[in-house]
Amino acid sequence: MRPIALKRRANRTVVYALLALVALWLVGPFLWLFVTSVSYQRNLLARPLAFIPPEITFDNYRRILGLVRFHAELQAAKILPSMLNSVIVAIAVTIVNLIVGTTAGYAYARFRVPLKMLSLFALLFTRMLPTIVLIPAYFLLFKALGLQNTLTGLVLAYCSFTLPFTIWIMKAYFETIPADLDKSALVDGCNRLQAYYRVVLPVSGPGLVAGGAFTFMLCWNEFIVAQVLNTKLGTTTLPPVIAGMNAQINIDYSVIAASGFLSALPAVLLVLAFQKYMVQGLTAGSVKG
Amino acid sequence: MLVICLVIVFPLAYSLWMSFADVNLLRATGPALELFGVRIPLFRYVGLQNYARLLADPLYWDAFWRTAYFVGAFVCETTVVGLGMALVLQERFLGRPLMRSLLLIPWSLSRVVVGLLWIGILDVEFGALNGLLYKAGLIESYVSFLKSGFSALNVLVSVYMWNQAPFATLLLLAGMQSIPMELYMAAEVDGAGYWQRLRYVTLPALRGILFLILVVSTVNGFLMLDLIYILTMGGPGNETTTISWLGFQTAFQFFKFGPGTAILYTLTVLCLLLTVVYHKIVFRRLEAAEL
Repeated sequence: MRPIALKRRANRTVVYALLALVALWLVGPFLWLFVTSVSYQRNLLARPLAFIPPEITFDNYRRILGLVRFHAELQAAKILPSMLNSVIVAIAVTIVNLIVGTTAGYAYARFRVPLKMLSLFALLFTRMLPTIVLIPAYFLLFKALGLQNTLTGLVLAYCSFTLPFTIWIMKAYFETIPADLDKSALVDGCNRLQAYYRVVLPVSGPGLVAGGAFTFMLCWNEFIVAQVLNTKLGTTTLPPVIAGMNAQINIDYSVIAASGFLSALPAVLLVLAFQKYMVQGLTAGSVKG
Repeated sequence: MLVICLVIVFPLAYSLWMSFADVNLLRATGPALELFGVRIPLFRYVGLQNYARLLADPLYWDAFWRTAYFVGAFVCETTVVGLGMALVLQERFLGRPLMRSLLLIPWSLSRVVVGLLWIGILDVEFGALNGLLYKAGLIESYVSFLKSGFSALNVLVSVYMWNQAPFATLLLLAGMQSIPMELYMAAEVDGAGYWQRLRYVTLPALRGILFLILVVSTVNGFLMLDLIYILTMGGPGNETTTISWLGFQTAFQFFKFGPGTAILYTLTVLCLLLTVVYHKIVFRRLEAAEL
């Protein structure tokens, strides 16, 4: 018996060592971002580097929130307005996706839509399509339509990227709900729309949460489209502003780290809050992300 | 559906048209399409000229082979690390739900933030990795990981992998949960060790998901752009310029929309071709397996 018990214990040790390694790999870099954001730049430059910061400061956060004056305050002053833009755009896109995407998903899951296979295939095709190939066209079209540098334009562009995902996720989700449920609602005197709104949607909470949270995350994190389409001051979202700060030499890394951490927090918290639904929804719809 | 046609198919056709045209953004005259009072410039048709110049351009071919290396390395790393993490997390241990939450952190970060935090680790002046290696006495002075082209390219691969592999792990874990326990028990009764169970039970069952990861990470690898923007801007020189960056640069830094869209279209075609090839291979495999 003894050698086997010994081997078991050795196995356990190996497993926990590997786990510690994986955990460090997953969270370490993000934690380090936080550590740098509450450090003074001079302590980051010190050699040898102290991994536990000798001084902790929230000066960097005060700077980017405009509470303390410093040399790059003009740059930093863009953070809060662009964060507001990010919130508006992400929420608008999420709402459109939830209304249009779920209804379309429901239609695909339940009805014989004309050209169903073809249009589903087209949706799948758009997922394989590089979004950057569309950006030059959007650039010129939005210029012609006067949508350049507007949040409306950004919402429109994001909807075109996110709707195919939402439709696929919701279609997969509705297919897990028994069709008998709609049928009994129809027998009870609902019309199709009522059956959808009163009976099917209320039991689709997890699917809606998954689709909505995923859409919000994509929009919140998107960088290239916002960078290209909304170049005018005050019209862009958070990621381009932070990237712009990063490109400037005279801004301390600790300040940039603070703004990066601040911008990452909403998405991370959202994903962690809804992780159960998201993992289910995403592995069902198996989305690229 | 109509809306989708409008917001995807039309821009798609329009940028395809641009790839065949001599786009001059400064000129306001010239042929144009009038639609509901909106003037959409059509530019001068130049046929295959954009593509011909492109294919004769050594810069493009450099970017092409670099992209091939990037995608290859990225797909391998993502699959191996994703599978490795899945195998570790599949074990039974305390705090398993917590570990699965941690998986979502790298994946839910914006690529801008991913780039930033790796700058914090790799930077030549304040990077934590440099600090660690220096402390351990492995290096005499701080190393600049992004200075030489090849190492910068590999850094990009690994950073992108850090961001994407957890998603592969999630998919694999979901797949592993659907493997019936009896298979493992039977294998154990037959005397199979850990590696044999992995080889003959786990991996065959995960074939579909592994294929999916292959396709998705190939496409994502081809399209990766934001990390290049944050970390290297295609440099040093052109040594981290992939096709997607070349196209982006040509279109939006030099404002040459014609050649830019042509480059991006070659990328699109590559992605679609590879997806089709993958499909073919896997279907043949599956048929062979059934016979």
